[in-house]
Amino acid sequence: MNEPIVHMEGLTKKLGGRAVVDQVNASVEKGDIYGFLGPNGAGKTTTIRMLLGLSRPTSGSIRIFGRDIRRERIAVLRKVGSLVEYPSYYGHLSAIENLEAVRRLMHDVPRSRIDEVLSVVRLAKDANRQVKGYSLGMKQRLGIATAMLGRPELLVLDEPTNGLDPAGILEMRELIKSLPAEQGVTVIVSSHLLSEVEQMATRVGIISKGRMLFEDTIVELRRKARSRIVFGVSDPEGAWRLLLVCGYRAEWDRVKLFVEPGGDEEVAAMVAELVRHEHAVYRVEEERASLERIFLDMTRGEGSL
Amino acid sequence: MSIRVLSAELLKIRRKLIWLLVALGPGGVVGLTALNYGLRLDYLTKLHANDLWGGLIGDITALMVPALFMGLAIVSSMAAGIEHQTNAWKMTLALPVTRTQTFLGKFLLTSLLLLLSSTLTGLGTIALGLALGFEASGMSWGYLLEQIYYPYAAIMPFIALQVAMSVMMHNQALPLAVGVAGTVVSVFSGSRFGDWFPWRWPSLQNEANDPRFSAALGLIGGVVILAAGLMTFNKKDVK
Repeated sequence: MNEPIVHMEGLTKKLGGRAVVDQVNASVEKGDIYGFLGPNGAGKTTTIRMLLGLSRPTSGSIRIFGRDIRRERIAVLRKVGSLVEYPSYYGHLSAIENLEAVRRLMHDVPRSRIDEVLSVVRLAKDANRQVKGYSLGMKQRLGIATAMLGRPELLVLDEPTNGLDPAGILEMRELIKSLPAEQGVTVIVSSHLLSEVEQMATRVGIISKGRMLFEDTIVELRRKARSRIVFGVSDPEGAWRLLLVCGYRAEWDRVKLFVEPGGDEEVAAMVAELVRHEHAVYRVEEERASLERIFLDMTRGEGSL
Repeated sequence: MSIRVLSAELLKIRRKLIWLLVALGPGGVVGLTALNYGLRLDYLTKLHANDLWGGLIGDITALMVPALFMGLAIVSSMAAGIEHQTNAWKMTLALPVTRTQTFLGKFLLTSLLLLLSSTLTGLGTIALGLALGFEASGMSWGYLLEQIYYPYAAIMPFIALQVAMSVMMHNQALPLAVGVAGTVVSVFSGSRFGDWFPWRWPSLQNEANDPRFSAALGLIGGVVILAAGLMTFNKKDVK
């Protein structure tokens, strides 16, 4: 029972002599929504392709449900649903026919399951229309429906919100978040947006240039992604000196003041201090650390970015 | 399992022009022959006076072989194109189906459609002969079936080759070019090469003067090329 759902060890893929994925270790536990995070070209999709047996690792091993994907691919894939990059569909067929084409290749999936998954992704109304007339969001939802068709225990979604509008992204996020609770599925979802992953993942793996830089719970990542407060004031230099005198650790970049606060009270105290000394406070903003900054922080030690 | 793969393949070509093509090929072959006979019926009936049906069947086969060469290239390209169009290979191959089955599915689909075309050609031949007023009793069933299905068997290596190329290349220009070139080569290979030359097999001409020899070579060659294609496909990474 304690065996992780997915376990990668020393996973490496070389393309043309360059390691696109380099010694990646990761494990995903049952019920996780595992956010696989990294900039474009970091090796996310390559890793996911290897996970699904679409391409062969140069070295290293992947175990899914405790089985070796290379040796027991079919047995593993029976319990895995996937959506890789752009949605795959047959444009000249309706949603129902698309799902039926996939269903025929699966084991013991009843026809009624097609209506079930279509209603989960709310495509029941358009089920008989040709898919080429669908919007990208609908195609993406059809992709999710296809992935869920075989009642998978593991769902692998590569950039599922790519190209969606804000409403579509929200919808996709809510759908993914609801899966583990309602269907008992473990989800791996990749993205290049921290904000995206942060809102749904329980665990996060960050990959850059083929290397796994960080793997831990979302709580741990949030600690790293600590926000800072930006002050816009009339006399930044004077205000900076004042805050330093008062014992706060502030930084100043000639335009704005930055502080890393301990809590709300501290911010309030700083504002009060500034106002008491007749600084005009224009703005007090919270600035979230971007993925880029976290990457920079993480890779600074290696000096490779 | 292969039946399930094939049924999925058949579902995927619904509403596709591929079906039109399957009927168009035999229609063209029979139509052209009908035109030929319509224009010079007296000459041709005099030429084949002692075996009207045999003459007709021979004329049909002569046209059917290049049509088969052309058809198999286009049909296998279209069958593979269904997956290439939206990059569906990454979905298809992540399903619990072996690569071998997926590949065989495309091969079976293409072979089946061509078998259908060949059969339609046979039926068209009978219809044409009757329409021309040939005596039904004069027709040799054995010869008709031989002339329709032996070329089909002999062309198997090319079905296997075209399916392999079309499935493995995203750009269909090369497979189609090879298909067209094959058609041309087959037309002109009649007596220029020995029995070792595969493009000659579907014409059923060989030194043993036995069409079964060509058909057998084709089936064996088909299995060899299919096996080679399967092995390559199994090793290939999916884009």
